[in-house]
Amino acid sequence: MLRTRGLTKSFGGLVAVDDVDFELGTELCSLIGPNGAGKTTFFNLLTGVLEPTAGTVELRRDDAWDDITDASPHETAQRGIHRSYQVTNVFPNSTVLENVRIAEQAAGNDSTALWRNVDHFEAYAERAYAKLDRVGLSHRAEEAASTLSHGAKRKLEVAVALAGDPAVLLLDEPNAGVSSESVDEVRDLIEDVAEDHAVLLVEHNMDIVMDVSERVVVLHQGAVIADGPPEDVRSNPDVQSAYLGGYEPGSLDDGAASGDPEGGLS
Amino acid sequence: MAGLDWPTDYLRAHVPHLAIVSLLALYPSIYHLLANSLGLYEAEILLPGVETMTAVLYFGLFAMSFDFISGYTGYLSFGHAAFYGTGAYTVILVANGAVPLLGPGTPFVVSLLVAGLLAVLLALVVGLVSFRLSGVYFAMITLGFAQVLYVFIRGWDYVARNPRDGPSVGPTHSEGFQLGVPGVDQLNVAIGVLTGDEVTMLGHTLGGTAVSYYAIGAVVLLCYFAMQRIIHSPFGRVMIAIRENEERAVAIGYDTYRYKLAAFAVSGFFAAIAGGLFAGFRRSASPENSFYFLTTGDALLASIIGGFGTLAGPLFGRLFDETVREFLSKSGQGGGLLPYLRAGLGEETLSTPVVGNTSLGTLIDTLLNGHASLYIGIVFVLFVLYVPDGLLGTVRQRVGGKLAHVSAVRFGDGSTANATTDDATGEEE
Repeated sequence: MLRTRGLTKSFGGLVAVDDVDFELGTELCSLIGPNGAGKTTFFNLLTGVLEPTAGTVELRRDDAWDDITDASPHETAQRGIHRSYQVTNVFPNSTVLENVRIAEQAAGNDSTALWRNVDHFEAYAERAYAKLDRVGLSHRAEEAASTLSHGAKRKLEVAVALAGDPAVLLLDEPNAGVSSESVDEVRDLIEDVAEDHAVLLVEHNMDIVMDVSERVVVLHQGAVIADGPPEDVRSNPDVQSAYLGGYEPGSLDDGAASGDPEGGLS
Repeated sequence: MAGLDWPTDYLRAHVPHLAIVSLLALYPSIYHLLANSLGLYEAEILLPGVETMTAVLYFGLFAMSFDFISGYTGYLSFGHAAFYGTGAYTVILVANGAVPLLGPGTPFVVSLLVAGLLAVLLALVVGLVSFRLSGVYFAMITLGFAQVLYVFIRGWDYVARNPRDGPSVGPTHSEGFQLGVPGVDQLNVAIGVLTGDEVTMLGHTLGGTAVSYYAIGAVVLLCYFAMQRIIHSPFGRVMIAIRENEERAVAIGYDTYRYKLAAFAVSGFFAAIAGGLFAGFRRSASPENSFYFLTTGDALLASIIGGFGTLAGPLFGRLFDETVREFLSKSGQGGGLLPYLRAGLGEETLSTPVVGNTSLGTLIDTLLNGHASLYIGIVFVLFVLYVPDGLLGTVRQRVGGKLAHVSAVRFGDGSTANATTDDATGEEE
């Protein structure tokens, strides 16, 4: 669906993403790595927010690879790469429904209609409602997005990313800041959307990563150091040392947070 | 619902709007009745005269066009006066035969449209550069463009014999501007304070000012409807999305640059129409009351008082502004507070010393004579602090939701959901 060739991004002397060759199929793939490994930079390169220093990004469409390296963020979105944000990023004063509806509208051809009332374009609202239904927010469709709890906003993020039925979903820490009761709901949601979308997931909660992923890619200092099924990656010594950085085993806070003393990658 | 029902449904759903338009339509008669027929001196002092109301209408349109771009996309267009000035100057220059291809006989409506299109071009040029920036930098660069034009127009002796004073309609066009359908005499009325037509209808004679009030009011209403439709279209929703969170709007696939540019052009068009109406009514314009940045300042003031992002609000803001100004200044048509106090209190009371040797009369003079702007400034500060949503914004928040809900339930038109959507976003018109 999506692949990169020699993708590199440096900020001055710092190489944030270093010569990454990566190909995303239709599977649910997780991108993990310690803080500062370059995961978000990698996302920003894929969506055109940042311009790579070197390398290409290509999207597969109609059995041909399409170079989208120079595409701007709105172009990548139109071509079917949608993302959710690590920091919640909604239209705060619009309703929950409008947040998704405006994203559905972006995928259509009616946004330049100046003269007809928006209520005449019911299809967008209907599709938006279906997306809200899928993430379990349809009962709050008419509320202002700013009134949602943090967990509900994360779900709204996913619904917005689903709008317009993208080919590729990039989910940037959909669980960030979500309360422990809601973590399971978000996990189910990730599994659900992965059924009909290619998903690239950035996630810090290792329980979820190991649970839902079909494939795990580990980024360390901008480079891919491991790529494979979750259980292989978990036992990969490079990954362990990258994560643990020489510190004592069990220091991975994700494992500790989930109440599992043997948590983390070990 | 049957197709035939829609006008009734539409009117039912817009009862408050209908009430306001009717009130504005009846205003000259009400004013005439209270101030002239009944001879209520108080009414004359409190209510703005019809001439002032005409100014409220065309300047209100300018303020609405300012709000269209600034209140709905969040990009403060501090150079908006350039479009207003373009409209005003175009209309006068066409009437003076100073515009190539357009003779002095060009119908007023045509020169209004030409003015609008020129402003669209200007908006595209300014916007192409300015929309690369955002926030305060956008405001500053548009202001810069407008000031360059202001300085240029002040020194360009082609537009007037004395460009610093600005052009006025010359002898080639001594009759009033005909507002109406070009080519059909019966459907035109002349506007202007002295040049306006008198119209007798149903045994009731309307003076030139009142006729201008209605003619200009009709154009303003038409423009309001046009902008309101755009706000409620899919395009309008993109504008609001840009204001709410532009980064997000880009991320979901909107090329916001193009949408902003288009919105700016639309806004410039209506600003020029407003400027054209102003020039058509006043028959002259100066750089100070058209291209100067304080003209934009007045539109900003009207928008803040009336309610940012409420389209109709700026008109009410301007009405408030003008009413207070006229009430507090001594030169208002109706007289204002100062002459009222002078006449009402009597010579003896006025000469009573209140503070030291200062008499009451001197004190009133000191406080009121020519200080309207000072009080307007205080009112502005109070509005920003205590009524941040403006007049219309606050009314909508307090009453709008209930009203919309009540009318939806009462008439059972199933628009409850839409009404709530609109309340929450605050974009209901």
